[in-house]
Amino acid sequence: MLAARELHHAYGGKTVVAVDAFTLAAGEITGLVGPNGSGKSTLLRLLAFLETPRRGELTLRGTPVRTRRERRAARRVVTLVEQAPFLFAGTVRENFAYGLRLHGVHGAAARTAAEEALARVGAGELVERDARALSGGETQRVAVARALALRPDVLLLDEPASAADRPAANQIYLALEAERARGAAICFSSHQLEDAYRWSARVVALAGGHIGTITPENLFRTDLPPGSGAREVRVGPLTFHIVTDKTGPATIAIAPDDLIVSAAPLHSSVRNTFRGRVTRLAEDGRGGITVTVDAGLTLTARITPAALAELGIGIGAPVVLSVKATAVRVY
Amino acid sequence: MGFFTEGLRRGAQLILGGNPEVFGIALFSIRVALVATLLACAIGIPLGFVVGTTRFWGKRAALTALNTMLAFPTVVIGLLAWGLLARGGPLGGLGLLYTWIAIVLAEVVLAVPIAAALTAAAVQSVDPRVRRTALTLGAGPLRTYWAVAREARFALLSGVVVAFGRVLAEVGAAMIVGGNIRHQTRTLTTAVALATSQGDFGLAMALGMVLLALAITVNVLLQLLQGRADARGA
Repeated sequence: MLAARELHHAYGGKTVVAVDAFTLAAGEITGLVGPNGSGKSTLLRLLAFLETPRRGELTLRGTPVRTRRERRAARRVVTLVEQAPFLFAGTVRENFAYGLRLHGVHGAAARTAAEEALARVGAGELVERDARALSGGETQRVAVARALALRPDVLLLDEPASAADRPAANQIYLALEAERARGAAICFSSHQLEDAYRWSARVVALAGGHIGTITPENLFRTDLPPGSGAREVRVGPLTFHIVTDKTGPATIAIAPDDLIVSAAPLHSSVRNTFRGRVTRLAEDGRGGITVTVDAGLTLTARITPAALAELGIGIGAPVVLSVKATAVRVY
Repeated sequence: MGFFTEGLRRGAQLILGGNPEVFGIALFSIRVALVATLLACAIGIPLGFVVGTTRFWGKRAALTALNTMLAFPTVVIGLLAWGLLARGGPLGGLGLLYTWIAIVLAEVVLAVPIAAALTAAAVQSVDPRVRRTALTLGAGPLRTYWAVAREARFALLSGVVVAFGRVLAEVGAAMIVGGNIRHQTRTLTTAVALATSQGDFGLAMALGMVLLALAITVNVLLQLLQGRADARGA
């Protein structure tokens, strides 16, 4: 839907964004993580056509966006919710009317669109409130709803839930999930790795303006049924024993260091045991060995060279991987 | 002191008695000032918007020039306008010298920098998120400007009031290009100067009191607007 190529931007000679390739696909949520000053906000502003990159190109639906006129046209289908969103003076309803009017939605249709969008983020009761008298969390929810009401093809959000409490944040992300299901390409930045893993299909890390790598091992998307405490969840052919109170979209993560590799099943308290065959053995550059195992899903464990020697395993060898239910992270 | 109080008494008498000379001059002054302010704002506010919101080479110099022009002596403006409008001047053929239009033109030159400089300051102080928000909601350049103007409206109105006050109280340009002709180009300020030089202290006091009342009204309005602007952080 929206793609960036060789994107480069600088302020006062200091490079703030240098991204070789970045794509947002329709019907997909991308999480953007990185520390303060890593370039997340600038990248989002470039993607929203609010700033013009020094170099590089943005394409929308495969068409390059270069001129002022093209950027303006692109902004009608790409919208951004800033980290500290701005609401115009007036009521919350009037804030919706502004953008909707610009998209040709007036009168009763605009009222309905505003109320529906607010309800989606659980802020229906705010519709007649003075926009400037809202709390930080309420302002964020209204700003997200204001963007949702425009039904953009690409929705960009800079820390959309940073001022919201946990239930409000969940409501915001659930609304994004519904928008994704409608076919929108969504990208949000977050300080919270947990939010990025939980609510996005793809997590991109930004550091110093560059896209970095996030250890991708042992991350599995799933949908948790209602429930709490110790539970079982199926991911592909495997069943994971986990402990969580979360429901809905989630990412299951197992640190490679937490996976125990053995030749035979362990007689222990470990709840998760997976049989598989070694597909790859490699030094990890930090004095350890990564053992990649096909157990129906690809799982990666990290062991010491001494442990590898003791186990005496090679490529194709049958192994058992074990991990405690409490060591399985759920984001 | 007796002379002074006698002047005050007579001035008050002229005002309370509805003296047609005093009120004729006052209405003429207000009319000229309103037309000049309107024209100056029509030029100065868009100019201030461009200077305040866009990036261009020499922006700092443009802002400095505008701020310098705020302190431009009115007699010099009158002098330049006279040079342009005098029979031998480039615009002499228009025959505008010593007409109310000449006063308006000189006062427009005086007020444009005020409207432009205060507009630039007002829009520069608007939260940058206003512009970005309008753009992300699909606004084009004009609607984006409008959103910024709406946020800065009290500060912008303050600029209009300051320009009106300056135009109303100015004497040098009106005297030089207007000629202080009775019933034609005599403004409150030029009439005060003339009445004083003619020794009609009572009439001068009456005109002065009207001018003062107008100045106070303008300032009260300004205070109210600035109070609203401060309360909104704009």
